[in-house]
Amino acid sequence: MDSMTDTETRPLIKMIKVNKFFGPFQALKNIDLEVYKGEKIVICGPSGSGKSTLIRCINRLEEHNDGNIIIDGIELTDKVEDIDAVRREVGMVFQSFNLFPHMTIAKNLMIAQQLVRKTPKAKAREIAMLYLERVKIPEQADKYPIQLSGGQQQRVAIARALCMRPEIILFDEPTSALDPEMINEVLDVMIDLARDGMTMVCVTHEMGFARSVADRVIFMDAGEIVEQAEPAEFFDNPENERTKVFLNQILSH
Amino acid sequence: MEVLTGWWDDYFWGAVIVAKVFIASLSLMILFGLIGAGAKLSNSRVAQKIAGAYTVIFRGTPEILVILLLYFGSAILLTSIAQIFNPEIKFVDVPPFWAGTIAISIIVGSYATETFRGAFLGVNPGSIEAARALGMSTLQTFIYIRIPEMWRIALPPFGNHMLSLIKDTALISIIGLNETLFVAKQAITVTGKPFTMYIVVGAIYLGFSSVITLAVMAIEKFGNRTTIDAK
Amino acid sequence: MSFDLSLILESLPLMLAGIGITLKLLLVSGFLGLILAVALLLMRISGKFYLDWPAQAYIYVFRGTPILVQIFIIYYGLPQFEAVRDSIFWHILREPTGCAIVALTLNTGAYVSEILRGGVLGVDRGLLEAGSALGMSARHKFVYITTPIATRLSLPAYSNDVISLLKSTALASTITIADMTGIARTIVADTYAPYEIFISLAIVYMIFTLGLQKLFGVIERYLGRYTRRDG
Ligand SMILES: Nc1ncnc2c1ncn2[C@@H]1O[C@H](COP(=O)(O)OP(=O)(O)O)[C@@H](O)[C@H]1O
Ligand SMILES: [Mg+2]
Repeated sequence: MDSMTDTETRPLIKMIKVNKFFGPFQALKNIDLEVYKGEKIVICGPSGSGKSTLIRCINRLEEHNDGNIIIDGIELTDKVEDIDAVRREVGMVFQSFNLFPHMTIAKNLMIAQQLVRKTPKAKAREIAMLYLERVKIPEQADKYPIQLSGGQQQRVAIARALCMRPEIILFDEPTSALDPEMINEVLDVMIDLARDGMTMVCVTHEMGFARSVADRVIFMDAGEIVEQAEPAEFFDNPENERTKVFLNQILSH
Repeated sequence: MEVLTGWWDDYFWGAVIVAKVFIASLSLMILFGLIGAGAKLSNSRVAQKIAGAYTVIFRGTPEILVILLLYFGSAILLTSIAQIFNPEIKFVDVPPFWAGTIAISIIVGSYATETFRGAFLGVNPGSIEAARALGMSTLQTFIYIRIPEMWRIALPPFGNHMLSLIKDTALISIIGLNETLFVAKQAITVTGKPFTMYIVVGAIYLGFSSVITLAVMAIEKFGNRTTIDAK
Repeated sequence: MSFDLSLILESLPLMLAGIGITLKLLLVSGFLGLILAVALLLMRISGKFYLDWPAQAYIYVFRGTPILVQIFIIYYGLPQFEAVRDSIFWHILREPTGCAIVALTLNTGAYVSEILRGGVLGVDRGLLEAGSALGMSARHKFVYITTPIATRLSLPAYSNDVISLLKSTALASTITIADMTGIARTIVADTYAPYEIFISLAIVYMIFTLGLQKLFGVIERYLGRYTRRDG
């Protein structure tokens, strides 16, 4: 079938010459990026280099000023239906979890299914429990987020994104707000997802994760993509000076 | 507006009285608020209890009751005291200006008590310690660190207290203070135009409120500027 | 002077006969005022200047003028216009109780809308982003995220406003309404015993206030259940 070959040859995410300004300040400069189905991309770079801005443009939490962003064939413009369509395909996990504090864990996973996907309540709960099993905390279903540890909350946030059956998941520094002993439980879930073939774009400084999971590592600095390469190449043979300096800094810890 | 001809000067003098009540009650309100906060922060159990009762009572009682009680009550009290010295005296008149001014400053002072107390407790103990560590004396620390920081915390609610005071002055017309609302009443009996006359009163109060709001905003801006400079 | 206990025992039942009216004023204008407040809030956060500006102007005027002046404008002022007397609202506005409810509603609506707006602005932006990322529409986010959280955040300030409203109902006595305060004023005019009457009435209001505080405390604890680790 035509559409079949289409999805295999066409990138799920395509960014062409994307620029983004905050007032006079340019946060993204001429970003070109293609991500294919099943690819795992890790984005790293110094703080303020535009990593969050880049991935937030992918699901339109930020509006780009020029260039094109095409997600699974849908171009992001002001059209609300297109934005909604893209958001149905793209899940997101935030640094600060952003679980709805006033809803139980199960309700956090059900609410968007019920409202956006129009899934009946019982079915939504079933799906919620399925993904809570997957992130290994089904027993917390009826608690409130505050009663969970940070690592558990972030796993819930991942499960919440998965409940919407997205094609792509974006991670914005998912382990940066966690105590060190909780980082691995979240990374394990992410590795598990990667094995399952999920398309993932992860902003993270967990270089072990990047090395073992990423298909490509992207280094950003001052709003630009400075370098991108396969992990082995990226870590062992960085080309750009700025990449070398950055890697030296974070690997020396 | 033609019906207003001849009444402007009455309104003006009414507004002057509003301003006088405001200034007098503002000073008293600050005084009551500071005493209340001092009592609440003191080590004396009794003082704490009294101040606690003060805030509970005046936050829970309608303003108009406090004004009426103070006005009629003090008249009776003063009369009976006067009669001790001179049984001939039938009645001592209490000026509504003072009865009303004291009443509204007691009321708003009970709110200011909490504001001042909160401001005192809200000062970051770290900056006090830092000042002491830098060798500043207790007095210097108080003047240069504690007071400015308390002021910054207290100013926004304090602005609201001032707005409460100015609006509460209208209530004093009930006991016969010849402020703007009282002027309007007289004007209405003559002209038969209640809407017009009360709208003027509303406009005057809106003017007062606006001036207070702008003043607080200006002071806030000034205060923030100095704290930014200090950093 | 002396404190006449039997007078209190005699008058208290008389004053308590006004409880119904006081409660009616509180509940009806509290309820209508809340609806008005939500409408004003929606206008303010609509992002449309032709809704936002009128709401801002309304709030500015009603918060900047004394409630007593608002009551007088509505009760004494509006009948100045024939259009009002001929309108369908006349059967409300000709009654003092109707006027008091209208005035209290308009007044509390302005204050409460600002309280609610504070709550809305206090909602963590990250939660709304999470909602967007999950594909929720603006309406869904408002109903399921903003509203419940803003409600919890504005409740403490809202409960203070309800207490203010209770105190403001006493002003109904200035337009001939026989609420608790109105009855008390009549009794004082007859007996000339302000201490006994006004103090015992103040205690009644305080009991009401404490009751309201308790009630809101329970609601606050219920709405805040998800903010405590122990559930
Ligand atoms: N909403 C905003 N308004 C103004 N400037 C912003 C905003 N968001 C981000 N920026 C600026 O854009 C730059 C990139 O930010 P961000 O994408 O968050 O960086 P990173 O995630 O790489 O740390 C930073 O300099 C930041 O200050
Ligand atoms: Mg970031």
